[in-house]
Amino acid sequence: MDLVQLQRQLVDYRTSLYHEGFLDEQFTQLQSLQDENNPDFVVEVVSLFFEDSERLLNELSKALEQQVIDFKRMDAQVHQLKGSSSSIGAHRVQKLCIVFRNYCEAQNVEGCLKCLQQVKHEYGIIKTKLESMFQLEQQILNAGGSIPV
Amino acid sequence: MQALLVLIPPSIMITWWHKTTRQIEQNVDFNTHSLDSGFQSQIHIIADSIPPLNSSAASLANLLTSSFNQTDEISFDEIETKVAPTLFLAFTTIPYLSQISYVGLEGLVFSYHIDGNQTLSTYANSSFSSRKKHVWYKQPVDNQTGKLYGEPVRSHSFNVVNTSWFQVALNHSSGYSSLENGWNNGGEPLFLTSVSLLGKGVIAMGVPVKRLTDRLGGINLYGGSLSLITMDEKLLLNGIPNTKFIYVNGTIFLQFMWPNGVKNFPCSNDTSETYMMVIDGKEYNVRCSTVKISGVQSVYALALPHEGIASFVYSKINFSHIALVVTMVLLVIPLVFFISSMTTNAQREIYLHDKLIKQMEATQQAERKSMNKSLALVGASHDIRAALAGITGYIDLCLANAAPGSDFETYLKQMSLCAQDLLGLLNSILDTSKIEAGMMNLEEQEFNLADLIEHVVDLYHPVGMIKGVDVVLDPCDGSIIKLSQVKGDRGKLKQILSNILSNAVKFTVEGHVCVRAWVGKHDFETEILASTRKGVGKYVSRLFSDKNEGNGNVKAESAVRQNRDLVEIVFEVNDTGKGIPKEKQKSVFENYVQVKETAAGQVGTGLGLGIVQSLVHLMGGEIGIVDKEFGEKGTCFRFTVFLTACETQGAAMYGGTNSSFAIRNSSPKLGIRTPSPKLDGSQVVLFMQNIERRRVSQKFLESLGISVLVVDQCHQFPSAMKKIQPKLNSLHHSSRRSDMSCRSDISSSSSKDMPLSAMEGAEHKLPFNRRKDAPSFNLLVIDVNAESFSELWRIVAEFRRGLHSTCCKVIWLDKPTSPCIDPKRLDPDDEILLQPFHGSRLHRVIKLLPEFGNLSQGISSSSESSKHPYSKTRLRNTQRNDEIQEYISSSDEQYSKQGSSSPTLVYTRGRLKSKRKNEDSAESSNGEMPLIGKRILIAEDNKMLSILAITTATQLGADVEHCENGNEALERVCNGLKAQRNYDYVLMDCEMLPMNGYEATRRIRIEEERYGVRIPIIALTAHRSGTEALEAGMDAHLNKPLVANELMKVIESLQTKK
Repeated sequence: MDLVQLQRQLVDYRTSLYHEGFLDEQFTQLQSLQDENNPDFVVEVVSLFFEDSERLLNELSKALEQQVIDFKRMDAQVHQLKGSSSSIGAHRVQKLCIVFRNYCEAQNVEGCLKCLQQVKHEYGIIKTKLESMFQLEQQILNAGGSIPV
Repeated sequence: MQALLVLIPPSIMITWWHKTTRQIEQNVDFNTHSLDSGFQSQIHIIADSIPPLNSSAASLANLLTSSFNQTDEISFDEIETKVAPTLFLAFTTIPYLSQISYVGLEGLVFSYHIDGNQTLSTYANSSFSSRKKHVWYKQPVDNQTGKLYGEPVRSHSFNVVNTSWFQVALNHSSGYSSLENGWNNGGEPLFLTSVSLLGKGVIAMGVPVKRLTDRLGGINLYGGSLSLITMDEKLLLNGIPNTKFIYVNGTIFLQFMWPNGVKNFPCSNDTSETYMMVIDGKEYNVRCSTVKISGVQSVYALALPHEGIASFVYSKINFSHIALVVTMVLLVIPLVFFISSMTTNAQREIYLHDKLIKQMEATQQAERKSMNKSLALVGASHDIRAALAGITGYIDLCLANAAPGSDFETYLKQMSLCAQDLLGLLNSILDTSKIEAGMMNLEEQEFNLADLIEHVVDLYHPVGMIKGVDVVLDPCDGSIIKLSQVKGDRGKLKQILSNILSNAVKFTVEGHVCVRAWVGKHDFETEILASTRKGVGKYVSRLFSDKNEGNGNVKAESAVRQNRDLVEIVFEVNDTGKGIPKEKQKSVFENYVQVKETAAGQVGTGLGLGIVQSLVHLMGGEIGIVDKEFGEKGTCFRFTVFLTACETQGAAMYGGTNSSFAIRNSSPKLGIRTPSPKLDGSQVVLFMQNIERRRVSQKFLESLGISVLVVDQCHQFPSAMKKIQPKLNSLHHSSRRSDMSCRSDISSSSSKDMPLSAMEGAEHKLPFNRRKDAPSFNLLVIDVNAESFSELWRIVAEFRRGLHSTCCKVIWLDKPTSPCIDPKRLDPDDEILLQPFHGSRLHRVIKLLPEFGNLSQGISSSSESSKHPYSKTRLRNTQRNDEIQEYISSSDEQYSKQGSSSPTLVYTRGRLKSKRKNEDSAESSNGEMPLIGKRILIAEDNKMLSILAITTATQLGADVEHCENGNEALERVCNGLKAQRNYDYVLMDCEMLPMNGYEATRRIRIEEERYGVRIPIIALTAHRSGTEALEAGMDAHLNKPLVANELMKVIESLQTKK
């Protein structure tokens, strides 16, 4: 596999992520924070985001299964999820969180359930996308190339 | 129960009726009784009307006595002179008298009596003692004077003196009454009252019985009858048939003669007894009673019908009883009928109720099931998504390993697109309920419409290829390419198009599927009219359809109407399949409906078109089936959608995209770049198998002003080539070529099957093409599926050899599935294109033409190019790279146009920066790290966010400390205050546990007051407004996530404040 091709592919892929709205400029910011001192910064933050989000999503799922739903708590959790997703620039997840919070405020269980599903779905997508992107990056690094920016 | 209640009023009525009739009967009885007594009293009154004449007779006798001597014999003269006038006086004055007489003992008689209508006098002037013949004479009497006149006539003499009454009367001085026969001609019976005159004679006055009987006969007895008899057995009246009076031992009996015997009833005693008897089959009540008539004791029997009026009334009552009963029965029958029908109805209703309840239960059950199903579907879709994500991931991995430009890569990309589509479909299935509820919203985004259409068509092309069906994209008037960038719901439009297209491909066995798209003529006025009409229709249809859906549609439509930038895009998907029967055309848009005849052997839920229709409505459009002309096969779906045209964007994109042709000008020719002196209009030869594709391509190329020659049959190909060859080579080729173009015009317009040779001698019509001695460019587009490749190659090679100066490029169209081109044999200039030949591929081919920008392509370039056959692939690679480059730049442009900073540009900038940083780190340390030496405390409980913030701040050169909640932050600040090592800034997350940012800030403010400092605290919030933070005493607020330049901005503003 040609290194140049790999690099081009990465650029392509990343552009498509931006293009399709999976990521926004916050991710660019995140990347700009990564430097020689902190070479795995993005991966680190993103994996933290994964941890965080999975925990929150689990908690939300559990909360929605309860007989009496604590919407206030859910709201706070969704708020956190929104915060962390916006921190890494997971644009779609963030957008959904806004809707989700509205449902929480309206105490709409159906809407919450639907939103949770959607958030989970979007989260799954962004996770896959980011992971495959990191894989690509890793490949490039393994091949001795530098990650194009 | 109700039925019984209904019966109550009639029973009350009947009892009341019964009572009334009883009363009536009683009344009638009473009335008949009183009638009886009335009859009796009437009889008595009549009897009394014949007055007893005793007193008048006595006074008459007294009057006469005074004129006679006691002792003397009374002579006839004396009678004539003394008695007669008195008698006449009495005769005329006393009423009802019909006879008055004096009878002497000696036989002297003088009397007046009425015989018929004249008054007569009967007398006997000689006594018995005179020995003369005792003769009675009759002589008329003058009514006025009482004098006799006329001749006396001898009359029948009566021996009056010997009669019993005379003897009795002789001793009666007060008058004696008896019934005797009169002396007139008839000898009619009279009530005779007689009185003695000095014992020597008797004066008798008679009242006719007839008078009484006449009057008695005048009584209306209502069917009754009357018999009358005197006590001394003289029958006066016998009205009662079959009876007679008999006299036994001084008692009078009424004897009835029955057919089987005789019965007697005593009658004389005045008991007023009532007897029953039957006469002529009728019952009669018989009463006997005594009455004194003119002093004569008599007995009468009154027979009245037993039931006269009463029986009449009774019969009427009975009749009315019957009528009542009949009425009741008639009433009861319908009542019974009514009740029974009511009961049956009630039973039916109960039955229906029962069914309804069952049905409802079933419905609920079904709903529950459907709910469970959808829940399961949600769960399953999650799993499917996961699996799909896996597939896409692996495809991406494969893609990474695939050789760029290889077919493998292309397939992988298609696969990945398919997977994405699958994901989209999954979403759409989940959203079906959303559509039905009218909750589906459009996700507006900008996209390239032409690309989208081409993409969809390309997707179905391989599917069609396998079946031998060509899927053709008809660019029509090019308006879609012109429009290019639009805003709308890309995914849903794609879904609509793919759905219809997949149906078309699925149901077409042979022929082609043609997709056309153009910008509809958007006349606003008619549109509004149409939409209002549509609105009314919608309103009506909304009554029948789901309420929410209708609402959604109407909402969407009104939204569509509001926006004036909208363009109407018309899509047509025309296939040559089996078609849909006319009567079924409406129902295909209903959910779960498949047309049986055509769907045989095809799988599918029948959900597709239903969703499609909903989606089209959602986009404000209409979908329908266009009627095909008779004899044409297949179905033609046409639908319209409204999209927002991005005018500026479209124009800006124009130069950047592949589709930058001159078509946007109304005249296609104007767009052609000014030809260089060396170049002239190119000749394109199309050789394609599929008629529709050939037609579409030709039409499009010609609309661009390119002269096109179509060859539809292989055996025509060599001859056509040969014809074109000398023309191209000759010096005056241009004009001839114009002929050619004309010819092709004609051939396309008139008949495709017509041999080209028949079109000689047409005039040229493109004046600017008539440039002499200009070498032309030739482009051959050859579909290798039409003929064996080697055969075609031979023809082309031959053609090539014949050419001298003109450039000839060949585009070989190959099937993607089974390539049959031998690349080694191709000219290095030639290109292989995979089908389908439309859209961007077509554009690329057009771009090869010198008029459309390919200036490098010419003799020189062809001579420069290597003879090595494999260079072709290299060429393709470089082209691909160019494309990618182009793509990146175009997307850059796009992003910059959108206003947001383009990531690519940022990268570029970043790269530049980092390079500079590497070169001169000292300078960069000042420039890039403005916060160097500053102590910053970051209070943030989220690990991720804290890392982010820490890194951001650290990169800015700050000395960062981190804590996880308000308590800690407070502690650290206090420690810092005590140690006189204050933080320069505190970044405080607002929502932390156990102490939140606001609280911590308030406490810090209190604490630091003692030291007389104020540490700037910047709030980190996820809320848009930071008013709460400012109220809590924070100096500024930043939105999460922390961004370096935002932080710097805030810090700079805080510094300037100081």
